[in-house]
Amino acid sequence: MKLPVRKFLTFLIPVIACALVPVFVHNDYLMQVFFRIILFAALGLAWNLVGGYAGQLSLGHVAFFGVGAYGLAMFTARGVPVWISIFLAAAAATGFAAVIGLIVFRLRGPYFTLSTIAFAEVLRLGAANLTATGGAIGLSTPALFRPRTFFETHLLSTVQQFYLAAVTLAAVCFVINYATSKSRPGYYLMAIREDEETAAAVGISTAGYKLRALLISAFLTALGGALYGSAFQYIVPDSALSIEISVQMAIITMLGGAGTLLGPVIGAILLLGASEVFKNRFQESHLLIYGILIVVVVLFLPEGIVGGLRHLFRRGMKSKPPSSVAQSPAVAEAKGGN
Amino acid sequence: MAAILELRNVSKRFGGLRAVKDVSLDLSPGEILFIIGPNGAGKTTVFNLISGFLHPDEGSIAFFGKDISRLKPHAIARLGVGRTFQIVKPLPALTVLENVMLGAFMHTAGLPHAQEEAASILDFLQMSHLKDFQARGLPLAALKRLEIARALATRPKLILLDEVVSGLTTSEALALAELIKRLPEWGVSVVGGVEHVMQVVMKISDRVVVLDYGAKIAEGKPADVVKQPEVVEAYLGAKYKELAR
Repeated sequence: MKLPVRKFLTFLIPVIACALVPVFVHNDYLMQVFFRIILFAALGLAWNLVGGYAGQLSLGHVAFFGVGAYGLAMFTARGVPVWISIFLAAAAATGFAAVIGLIVFRLRGPYFTLSTIAFAEVLRLGAANLTATGGAIGLSTPALFRPRTFFETHLLSTVQQFYLAAVTLAAVCFVINYATSKSRPGYYLMAIREDEETAAAVGISTAGYKLRALLISAFLTALGGALYGSAFQYIVPDSALSIEISVQMAIITMLGGAGTLLGPVIGAILLLGASEVFKNRFQESHLLIYGILIVVVVLFLPEGIVGGLRHLFRRGMKSKPPSSVAQSPAVAEAKGGN
Repeated sequence: MAAILELRNVSKRFGGLRAVKDVSLDLSPGEILFIIGPNGAGKTTVFNLISGFLHPDEGSIAFFGKDISRLKPHAIARLGVGRTFQIVKPLPALTVLENVMLGAFMHTAGLPHAQEEAASILDFLQMSHLKDFQARGLPLAALKRLEIARALATRPKLILLDEVVSGLTTSEALALAELIKRLPEWGVSVVGGVEHVMQVVMKISDRVVVLDYGAKIAEGKPADVVKQPEVVEAYLGAKYKELAR
């Protein structure tokens, strides 16, 4: 098989460019903003598997995010090394996803969405009331990174290292999205999104494929949650299990283009970047502008930015099918020749 | 020859309505059987029962001797039962080619292979020129063909065509009928369902089963069946049965 070198480079070059940002940017505030943007790009990509390709509008992904963050704190508190804790927490989130997936995927449309919210809220309320999770006071999370020097001279601050970890996670999420979009499982998920009965009629086990997408998505989301928890050093139910995070994952992806590869990345850059700029310029009223931006995009680009652009690009080429249907060009030509 | 599909005394109830009453039928390999009957006669219910979207309350359905009456739709599809939907169900955001590839994925995981196979099926259905269009926005005649193409791509042994010509003009319907007649070349047996496009039924079916209010009222060669008084009555009412004589 021929190696798709060009595709590999178009992926690798932006990743390396992102990874080199800390060499030039030493401002911790800016690095913090970049960390959040890249982290949410990764979360958007993780959500995209379920909400985009499979078309299952989950608003409960913060459950996996929260299990990742809380899991990291709780495993390390019991003496497990941090880097093992992270993956244990992600595994726990995956197990949790298997349980709730079996239940929520019995429902469709708005009922599915509501049930995902309900599960996430149960976790939030549980975390706020149990002593093991620190109740409303929360837990402190272990530091994944400390400032360190490399090459004797350069200092990598904690934030810069968190940023690099987020870049790594986002790259992994991107590769998984790419592999999905170019393979049979990806097509199966899209078929499920477009019409579940048709999908079943061509032999697709719709429940099985939706569940698999959710398990992978939950694992990645939990890794993101653990990074987030560790970066902010402290988690409470209203931060690590807030519905706002679920909504943000969904909005970022839908704004950029659900079910597209670049959508979540573009959505994260635009939405979080804009919100940061507005926050500095307009203080409290930034939420208003943020809201208006979302409304405008939803109204004018229902398929998101990438989906909208793709539509524009397709127009004029392949959007209007010819009115004669059953004739192959050859038949039409033969008739014309007579 | 042994029947590939056997329905034995199949009944289905929706609340107080008995949609299918005690229906039995057999299908031989390579046969084209059409189920006809007026609107509401239970044709679609029979298709949903065979393809696993519904399960019978009574009776059994066997496919190559294996009882399939409790299996899920995707499992039945994997055994070799392809189906189309009366109200066409394309995957609108995907292209025509991709729609058909989804059928081909049943026996190949490779994209290029699925593409090739989908292309040859689109060729058979004379819609190669549409392959790169999104399924959304295609005219009905193309969507009806797309339903068949997608089902055929799963390499079924039996294909269920529910109202496959309804809503088409006569010339479109007859053109499609020619293609359906050729389906046995692909190793497929056909059970079709048609409400009133008799021209198509007469032309391509080996055998006809007539349903009325969920019960089988006649069966046989198409030309014989349409002359039976019960059939005329089912379609036109008792009053016209006299006139038809």
